[in-house]
Amino acid sequence: MVIFFEQLINGLTIGSFYALVALGYSMVYGVMKLINFAHGDLFAFGSYVGYTILVWNSGRITQIFGIWGGMAVTLLFTFMVVGIAGILVEKAAYRPVYPAGRLPLVVSALGMSIFIQNGIMAVWGPRFQAYPSESVPSVSFEIFGIHITLLKIFILIFSLLLMVIIYYIVEKTTFGAAVRAAALDRETATMLGIDIRKVIFFVFALGPALGGMAGVMNGMYYRSIQFNMGWNYGLKAFTATILGGIGNIPGAMLGGILLGIMESLFAGYFPSGGAWKDGFTFIVLILVLIWRPTGLIGEKIAEKV
Amino acid sequence: MKNNKLSLMVIALGILLLSSLSWAEGSIVIGLQAPITGDYAIEGQMAKQCVEIAAELINKEGGINGQPVEIVIADDASNPKDSALAAQKLISQKVVAVIGSYGSSVTEPAADLYERNKMVSVGYGCTAVQLTMSKDRKFFFRTCGRDDSQGQFFAKFAVESMGWKRIAIMHDNQTYGKGVAEETMKYLEPYLKEGKAEVVYYDAITPKEKDYSAAITKLRETQPDVWYYTAYYPEAGLLVRQGREAGITIPFVGSNAVPNDDFVKIAGIEYAKGTLMTQEPMPQDINTPISKVFLEAYRTKFGDIPSSPWPIYAADGLFALVQAIKNANSTQSEDIANAMRSMTNAEGITGKILFTERGDRKDIPYAMYKYNEEGKLQLYQP
Repeated sequence: MVIFFEQLINGLTIGSFYALVALGYSMVYGVMKLINFAHGDLFAFGSYVGYTILVWNSGRITQIFGIWGGMAVTLLFTFMVVGIAGILVEKAAYRPVYPAGRLPLVVSALGMSIFIQNGIMAVWGPRFQAYPSESVPSVSFEIFGIHITLLKIFILIFSLLLMVIIYYIVEKTTFGAAVRAAALDRETATMLGIDIRKVIFFVFALGPALGGMAGVMNGMYYRSIQFNMGWNYGLKAFTATILGGIGNIPGAMLGGILLGIMESLFAGYFPSGGAWKDGFTFIVLILVLIWRPTGLIGEKIAEKV
Repeated sequence: MKNNKLSLMVIALGILLLSSLSWAEGSIVIGLQAPITGDYAIEGQMAKQCVEIAAELINKEGGINGQPVEIVIADDASNPKDSALAAQKLISQKVVAVIGSYGSSVTEPAADLYERNKMVSVGYGCTAVQLTMSKDRKFFFRTCGRDDSQGQFFAKFAVESMGWKRIAIMHDNQTYGKGVAEETMKYLEPYLKEGKAEVVYYDAITPKEKDYSAAITKLRETQPDVWYYTAYYPEAGLLVRQGREAGITIPFVGSNAVPNDDFVKIAGIEYAKGTLMTQEPMPQDINTPISKVFLEAYRTKFGDIPSSPWPIYAADGLFALVQAIKNANSTQSEDIANAMRSMTNAEGITGKILFTERGDRKDIPYAMYKYNEEGKLQLYQP
């Protein structure tokens, strides 16, 4: 039972990284019908921005604001920087290609992914970088034999909070309604007076910004970051997006969390499950897609005539 | 007509002069194949620094019979695919011989290519037994030790010196990691039969992942006395950190690809301190005439001495090659290979460099090291 709960908490933590990254994928896909392959690398970029802030002037930020204050400043700053980066990516790599159709757009996204990855390598170097231990709380405790770290709890709560906020913005506000309308049918939404540029601006700023914060939390959690880390998380988050139903905000959250839990429970219970867990998750993905081609809570999309 | 002939002669003479000049000045080019980028980048970059300093020292003393040694570098990016590309690059540049590479599974495809193209290569960090034992390789050598001697060292140390009874062995299913784990098992066998020890956990993790909590929980539930991890440092750092956070307090022992500064960085100094390493002597504990000069030169240039033993073996690869070329008085691969096998006068940073018939280095000692409070390795006596 102890193992089960430990694995469950681990799964939730990993799952919340996936979910935050998946949100960005899903929002961009919903509005643009574009799989933003550069998204995973923006996540990695966020991780490096956070790292840079925390090691700046040998930990000045942590000295001024304390551990928790330093983390908050880092997260906030990363949110802004990666948000701006997301907008720049859209301006530089996607906007000029829109008229050419969807395929060139995907190629452009792949190119952007390679560009960001190599840019990170050129700036921060190919070696592992480690988040400084003074800047991250290292409190861990035991409840009923279950080992938990304070950081895990923080990541869980903070990610959930972010998801709730995004859910609220997208589902309950007027602007969210505009985003959803643009996702449903762009032309009609434009005709009804929705400023589509604003919506695009919004998804390309918020999606990467969330991913960037996930990157910072990932760096704090695992400590070691590397320039090519974005690829793997991008792939997993993309899987999560499809699992939950692409273009659907709650679906992305659900898909991410489910994926994380499945992975860690499988790795925990099956012999040499660690090596097979990716295979397992993809089998589950295929089965879900056979049963529900639009994902777990994806809406049925009517054929456009 | 006459004029033409004359100018032709002048040109011919010029070419002759030029070519003879370049021959006299021509340097002996040695390739270094190392992981300059990728997961093991720190080991490749330090190797590059060490080999360059070794070349400087050699050239200061007149090079090879007056010809300076020149190093060209090929990056194998820590993976087998790029390793083959790097090897091809060096082969097409027609270097005299090659030093490299670091990882065993990375070295393997390159060693095959060098073998096929009759080019001497000297591995500096690849310790898997199979590299010299599974195939007959005429042109492959290594200046580092072999995994079986490390496995033997750990088995004896764990049972006889420390009295650890319940042993957990974890590897990463790659050539090197699995090799050390299997060799350790082999040498633990007699103790297991006598009932002096028990292997309670023997499993592999998947390299390049971030989350090892599942494997760690499994390991914890088997209640071992010691945790021997026989693979590379990036995963080792994560394992130590996640293991300690999951409440594993037993000694962590890493094999000789674990210790370096990046391991300490990833694990964090609070978790890295106290971890043990089965290890060839570290640069600072080597006491030979060359080591003093070399480490001094390295420190002057880079501020500190190398944080892992492997780059030193890369430099030793160069010392061995240079001596072999001198002995053979030839840059033909066959002559160099024969000279490598028979030479008894090669002095490297780690002492005398002698090779066996199969290309392994003779007489490499192992020791137990421990990370101290400052994150530096110290010899450990139980």
